[in-house]
Amino acid sequence: MNIPIEYYLILSGFMFLVGVAGVLTRRNAIIVFMSIELMLNSANLSLVTFSSYMGNSTGQLFVFFVMTVAAAEAAVGLAIILAMFRNKLTLNIDDINILKW
Amino acid sequence: MLNNFQEFYNIIPILLIGAGFLISLLIEMYFKKSDVILPWFTILIFLAAGFHALYAVNSVSVIFQNMLATGGIVNIFYIIFTFGAAIVALLSIDYIKKYGTYFGEYYILLQTSILGMMLMAGAKDLFMIFLGLELMSVSFYSLAGLNRKRLKANEASLKYFLLGAFATGFIVYGIALIYGTVHSTSIDMIASRFYELSSDKLFIAGILLFLIGFSFKIAAFPFHMWVPDVYEGSPTTIAGLFSTGGKAAAFSAIIVTLGVLFTGRIGNILMPYLAVISVLSMFYGSIVAISQDNIKRMLAYSSISHAGYLLIGLAAGNSFGVAGVIFYLASYTFMNLGAFGIVALIEGKDESNLTLKSFSGLASRYPLLAALFSIIMFSLAGIPPFAGFFGKYYVFIAAIKSNLTWLAILGVLSSVISVYFYLRIVVLMYFKDAETDLKIDVSKTGLAAVIISVLLVIIIGIAPGTIIDLIAFFFK
Amino acid sequence: MNIYDIVFYLFAAITVLSAFFVVTTRNIVYSAYYLLFTFFGVAGIYVLLGADFIAMVQLIVYVGGILILILFGVMLTNKITSVEIKTGSVQVVPAAVGVALLAGILMASMVDTKWRSVETAMPSATTQGIGMLLIQQYAIVFELLGILLLIALIGAASMARK
Repeated sequence: MNIPIEYYLILSGFMFLVGVAGVLTRRNAIIVFMSIELMLNSANLSLVTFSSYMGNSTGQLFVFFVMTVAAAEAAVGLAIILAMFRNKLTLNIDDINILKW
Repeated sequence: MLNNFQEFYNIIPILLIGAGFLISLLIEMYFKKSDVILPWFTILIFLAAGFHALYAVNSVSVIFQNMLATGGIVNIFYIIFTFGAAIVALLSIDYIKKYGTYFGEYYILLQTSILGMMLMAGAKDLFMIFLGLELMSVSFYSLAGLNRKRLKANEASLKYFLLGAFATGFIVYGIALIYGTVHSTSIDMIASRFYELSSDKLFIAGILLFLIGFSFKIAAFPFHMWVPDVYEGSPTTIAGLFSTGGKAAAFSAIIVTLGVLFTGRIGNILMPYLAVISVLSMFYGSIVAISQDNIKRMLAYSSISHAGYLLIGLAAGNSFGVAGVIFYLASYTFMNLGAFGIVALIEGKDESNLTLKSFSGLASRYPLLAALFSIIMFSLAGIPPFAGFFGKYYVFIAAIKSNLTWLAILGVLSSVISVYFYLRIVVLMYFKDAETDLKIDVSKTGLAAVIISVLLVIIIGIAPGTIIDLIAFFFK
Repeated sequence: MNIYDIVFYLFAAITVLSAFFVVTTRNIVYSAYYLLFTFFGVAGIYVLLGADFIAMVQLIVYVGGILILILFGVMLTNKITSVEIKTGSVQVVPAAVGVALLAGILMASMVDTKWRSVETAMPSATTQGIGMLLIQQYAIVFELLGILLLIALIGAASMARK
């Protein structure tokens, strides 16, 4: 472990920023969701980095929780996206991007 | 885990709701008449938890290996959440029927969202904050889109989901940085090391990201964009819960986690951030609300401006400000639930009767509704002697005590602007002729819920001193 | 430059490049596949950090669960609407300002911090430690996680049914 801790943190910071940029610029709901997964992954990377440089398992436990929560959110999110597309099919709305922030 | 009977006794509110939602699942599965039983069972659970929290408000303890706190301001938050949720459940009995179908999961998700809020308010560890937040949010995402046949509801829940998950990303990253600098997720550790770490930029960045995440949840200005659409698209009762319980829970999480900042013992280094988003939210909410025609959207913008007033109390950074915020949250919960309750009563099938026009001339046909709505509007506008006035008063006084007089003056200015759109509705109801042929069957349970919330607003307005003293006693 | 450095730079490059492509590619299916590489790269870095359990969970939950769900979402929604799978982007200027602000905060704080480099021993297996924490100190959180999964199940089922 002779790689400085900053390298890991900068990597995670970069992923976080890419995720934020994706959420703010893309308008497809699924891509936005993928960008959010990137943000969560970068947070996990930071947590694991701190955890192993400090020799403290709590951070890794937190990552375990974040992953489980992300899975739960993914299930709900995909259900919402499906419900939305089903309605659009029946309501025949031409415009695919009704999402305006 | 639980060392003695006292600890068991102290967490009865959480146990009740945790058990209550599991029993509700069984009721929903095995009883044919679950649509009659379940709402009343839910209300019973909420009231039992709320009264227990009120009764046990003095039994302060920390349980589950330093994970959860009980008693004191935690119980005051429990009271706000459970009584608010009981009012929401009472309103929903007839409101849900307007959708034509019965949703059993509605009451189950209502209970779990309250469970999440209670965990946030009682948290002693960032794990609890995170889990409570997610329990609340996942229930909210589903509740917002429960009426899945309507595109508006789908859109509301999709927006709420995407921005909620975005906020979660910020919160988790913030927690990661806090963990990295504090070397622990325990809130007590954060509090005790806050002063020595307040020059550590990484720690401050973590706190800032954490706050940005929660700024989405409290609907403060640059992070408010989901609010109007979500309130408009979700069921009206649930929108009421989002604007009251959801906001109160997010504030409780901020107060619990960063409580040491607001005791006045160390300088409030986050004051600039809090003050700036507070001013922006107040003015943005008040000004944009004027141009709204849909009553739910108007209440959404009013909710943004109230987030601004609440943030003044946090920016003040003294214990008086925090007590003011909690008092404000209690009064805001009941007055806003009353407002959304009246909107839910007047709302017709297929989300009709939601424009301001529907309210004109209401006083001549439904004088009781008009009178109740006027009281709520006066209270929201901050006109004495109702609860809303004292909430604002305590928050502004706290700001002045911290030499933030300019912030208090801006708050008063924004309140004056907001009087316009609140009182416009009162004028419409009393001094205009009816423009639409409004016919509603006023549901008895819904009316009872509104009357209870108005009574609570009046009671809080009569005895603000005792309540604020009680809160200030527990938050030292 | 020893083997650790090479492995780190390899996985970091995979992660950074694929993360970048996830948000810039115009095709949703490609984005999902790039996300696979990001998750894989992060899992590799977890191994390098000595977090063996988390690395496995990353592969199982993210790649095996979440990514499959996302791909299902992509396939189902595209079939239904039969529209092109290219997607546009909006709000580039405010996004750039926001991201630049965040980048400033994060980078300033990371560069400024003086890291205490503690020489740690070669990491041992972490699974036992995490398991002990999970059933002792954090047992209540673990049980609440079960409630959360149940709620997600109820919510998803109520939303996705016809």
